[in-house]
Amino acid sequence: MTGWRGRLLSVDLSRQRIWMEDLPADLLHSYLGGRGLGVRLMRDHYRTDPFAPEVPLFFSVGPLCGTLVPTSSRLSVVSRSPLTGAIHDSSCGGSFAWHLKAAGYDVVKITGVSPEPVVLAIFGNKVEIKPVKHLWGAGVAKTVAALNPAGGAAIIGPAGENLVLYANIVTGEGNSAGRGGLGAVMGAKRLKAVLVDGERAVSVADPVGLQRGINDVMRLLNASPVIFGNLGFSEFGTAALIDLLTQRRMVPTKNFRETHFAAASRYAAPALRRLYAPKKQGCHDCPIACKKALRGRQRLPEHGSLSHFGALLGISDPASVVQSGQICNDLGLDTLSAAVSIAALSEARGEFPSGEQLPDLLRLIAHRQGEGDLLAQGAQRMTAELGCPQLAMTVKGLELPAYDPRGAYGMALAYATSNRGGCHLRAYPSAHEILRKPVATDRFDFAGKAWMNIVAENTNAAVDSLVACRFTLMAAGLEEYATLLSAATGADYTAARLTTIGERIWLTERYYNQMNGFSSNDETLPERFFSEDGSSGDGLSVPAIDRKRFFEERQRYYRLRKLDERGQLRQDYLDTQP
Amino acid sequence: MIRQLEKFFDKIRRDGSCRHDRAALLVRDDQLLKAGPEDFCEVGQDLLQQLNIVALAIGEPQIPFHHLWLPRLALDDKQIVPLDTETRTFLHDIPLVRQRGGHIDTAEVAEQLGRRKGVLVEGLGIIAGGPATVEQAYVNFSTVCHALFIGYLLQLARGILQPVELRQLRPLLNRLCRPISVKVEDLLIGPFVDPGVARKAIQQAGHRTVDLHLVDSFFGNVSCHINQQILISQTGASLDDLVGCIDAVADDNSCTAGLTASSELPAHRAIYETNDAAVILHGHPKFTVLMSLFCDNQDCAVLDCWKECPHIRYLGDVPIVAGEVGAGGIATTLPPVMMNGIAVVYGHGVFAAGSTDFRQPLRALIELENWCRNEYLRRLDQRIIL
Ligand code: SF4
Ligand SMILES: [Zn+2]
Repeated sequence: MTGWRGRLLSVDLSRQRIWMEDLPADLLHSYLGGRGLGVRLMRDHYRTDPFAPEVPLFFSVGPLCGTLVPTSSRLSVVSRSPLTGAIHDSSCGGSFAWHLKAAGYDVVKITGVSPEPVVLAIFGNKVEIKPVKHLWGAGVAKTVAALNPAGGAAIIGPAGENLVLYANIVTGEGNSAGRGGLGAVMGAKRLKAVLVDGERAVSVADPVGLQRGINDVMRLLNASPVIFGNLGFSEFGTAALIDLLTQRRMVPTKNFRETHFAAASRYAAPALRRLYAPKKQGCHDCPIACKKALRGRQRLPEHGSLSHFGALLGISDPASVVQSGQICNDLGLDTLSAAVSIAALSEARGEFPSGEQLPDLLRLIAHRQGEGDLLAQGAQRMTAELGCPQLAMTVKGLELPAYDPRGAYGMALAYATSNRGGCHLRAYPSAHEILRKPVATDRFDFAGKAWMNIVAENTNAAVDSLVACRFTLMAAGLEEYATLLSAATGADYTAARLTTIGERIWLTERYYNQMNGFSSNDETLPERFFSEDGSSGDGLSVPAIDRKRFFEERQRYYRLRKLDERGQLRQDYLDTQP
Repeated sequence: MIRQLEKFFDKIRRDGSCRHDRAALLVRDDQLLKAGPEDFCEVGQDLLQQLNIVALAIGEPQIPFHHLWLPRLALDDKQIVPLDTETRTFLHDIPLVRQRGGHIDTAEVAEQLGRRKGVLVEGLGIIAGGPATVEQAYVNFSTVCHALFIGYLLQLARGILQPVELRQLRPLLNRLCRPISVKVEDLLIGPFVDPGVARKAIQQAGHRTVDLHLVDSFFGNVSCHINQQILISQTGASLDDLVGCIDAVADDNSCTAGLTASSELPAHRAIYETNDAAVILHGHPKFTVLMSLFCDNQDCAVLDCWKECPHIRYLGDVPIVAGEVGAGGIATTLPPVMMNGIAVVYGHGVFAAGSTDFRQPLRALIELENWCRNEYLRRLDQRIIL
């Protein structure tokens, strides 16, 4: 096989059994890898409780991984989210994916619960389950130091061990598989870490064609201001977005009560560059290298973490904002969900924490102690318990990221229809509404956004299954990736075919959610966004979202997706799919 | 959606890329929206049913490549690769769809549109898709037109056509090569001290450059250096509609809100750093791009001329350099040759700088394009085979 390995490694931690399975070629061709393949493999388990021993946790890579295609060394982690109950996948950088492919697998499937804390060590065909009782309770940095992985590592911190509902899985390099709490799924299995390495090269069907395609993508990346421009992600990291979104007045501030935080410039990318002089660092072999590295394993946090530990909590001290992100990474906590949960509690109490209070609070969450236990449930459960559900800035139970929907209506709609809940990355409308790629759209207009989101949801589902980094879509598109995939696998892919695959993946996820009780009732925004204005100023008006237009466009989305009025798929949808 | 349809239908009929009575635009909304001749709409409707895209543009280009060029290509030629570097970056190639037994197989057109942004269909014209927006269909359509225009006229001057076809085309070419009148004196007068005025001047210059067909509206860029910052058109902005689409980028990168600035920002910045310039205008005038591709050097070892040609060549007295978009490319090769305020990038376009306002660079841009038009016809008459 070229491109793929065609092999799945299955590990049952309850019975301590390890075996290999072949992956049927038609599944690979129909779901590609990464997110798509993981989602397909969840077909028998999408209703299983996320903490039940039988629920599988998939680490899945794509057919381009292991080749020289830019940004192709990404991993998808797939299971059911304990935070939202929805199907969940998380795209993650670092080198784990590359090493997994080198070990000879497309997917690792983990089920069962180990009687004691263990590490799963994979080196090619040699796979072992090793007890690591002494590391239970350790932060990610300490675990990395103790395990000293030669290849890739995927680790949970105390948050995952203690089943914090938004615990992340963190790679040895510090990249997170974040949002839906898959770290807690791993923690429930008492799996502290997965180590992986191997030395098998990936063969491709048409090396010359692949190189030509890579050159085409590199040309497009070079011509993309967001990627390689003077102010682009390669230079400044995603922190470059802080100034931009501040200027656009769409920065969630004080639990989304406001949309402008003038002091954000204190922790914006240019300020961090002056303060920390970070170095460029990337996921395995990535030419963009958007990560900003400090000494040791430390990195500067991404845009979302900076913004939510800054503006969302009303904190402007850059040292505090950076530290909060770093502490979360070590504890294995999702920064966005942690910050939004804290913001909701703060609004309920009428007092936001100071920068000095945050480190302790974050540790309490990860260890589920005191107030931390309340916060560890996420904003939706917590505010329900406190009797103030209107303060939870969540959709389908997932805490909203650092783009205020009053400042971008495609984003508003995307939060509502997202399969994994309030997430900017499914349709990624900031690409066109803010960054003008692949075309610029009017962010204060709903017109055309339903279709735009559908196209992007499908496209991104395909890209997450290749698995390539979203940022390449600021330059290249499915057209270029189809060429690369054809060259790698020898099959004939086109942009249109990839779109069809992306649509299949999207609808499969939607179907699982529907069967788990999600409906159009869940596809709306917190009331605040319809009834409270944002922070107008600088000649820019940021009104509340027009409820009527919002729901009109959502219904149009359903029609264009060929769903019924309540957003439901046909009951036999899965039977029609490979 | 109807607003979008009207806006871009108007553009496509007026931008000179195709015959104004032979252009159609179709948009998928709750119902199908369409504008243009019935025969095109029928084909378009059929295609939209087979494709997962939102819009489709169909048109007969000014120069009928679909009658003249396509049938002349070898039957196993499956696509045309653009020769100008700017469109080649985005299009890669333009698939060709031939008629079978006198009719067009829309399934084949759909298959090719599922691969590439636009196709050339024998006997019909150009069809381009818009996956997510109407604007994309328009941009893709014009980009394919631009690429074919340059490619075809280059072949023409290299002598691939029969004399009878040339005779047939000559009146059209004469018309396309008519000189542009130099109308620049009504533009805002610099030097600009107020950023608000500078923004107005940028909008005005952008609009004029498009009106004069010196650039397709979504390509090109315009900037002004004022108060230690560059005001520059945003990436993907329409130069004839720059209101709200101009970014400010500080010389010292002290704010990253200009993340959305034009992809040519590094080139503009490098020119400001090394030359006495206050404004820069960058367009893709067709005949200048075309003429920059002629090279008399017969035995040259360089293969990727567009990025690797180490020589400075000239169009009259205007220098041509090679280089890729972005920091390592034209931002390095352009500044040293900008001392007279104007230079051409191989197969791509023109950068013209002014020390006070846009009157001087626009004049230089027009004069260069007029010189190239004239030179093109002269070459054609001589049938210089290179
Ligand atoms: S662009 Fe950044 S996040 Fe994406 S693969 Fe490269 S280094 Fe990783
Ligand atoms: Zn250009």
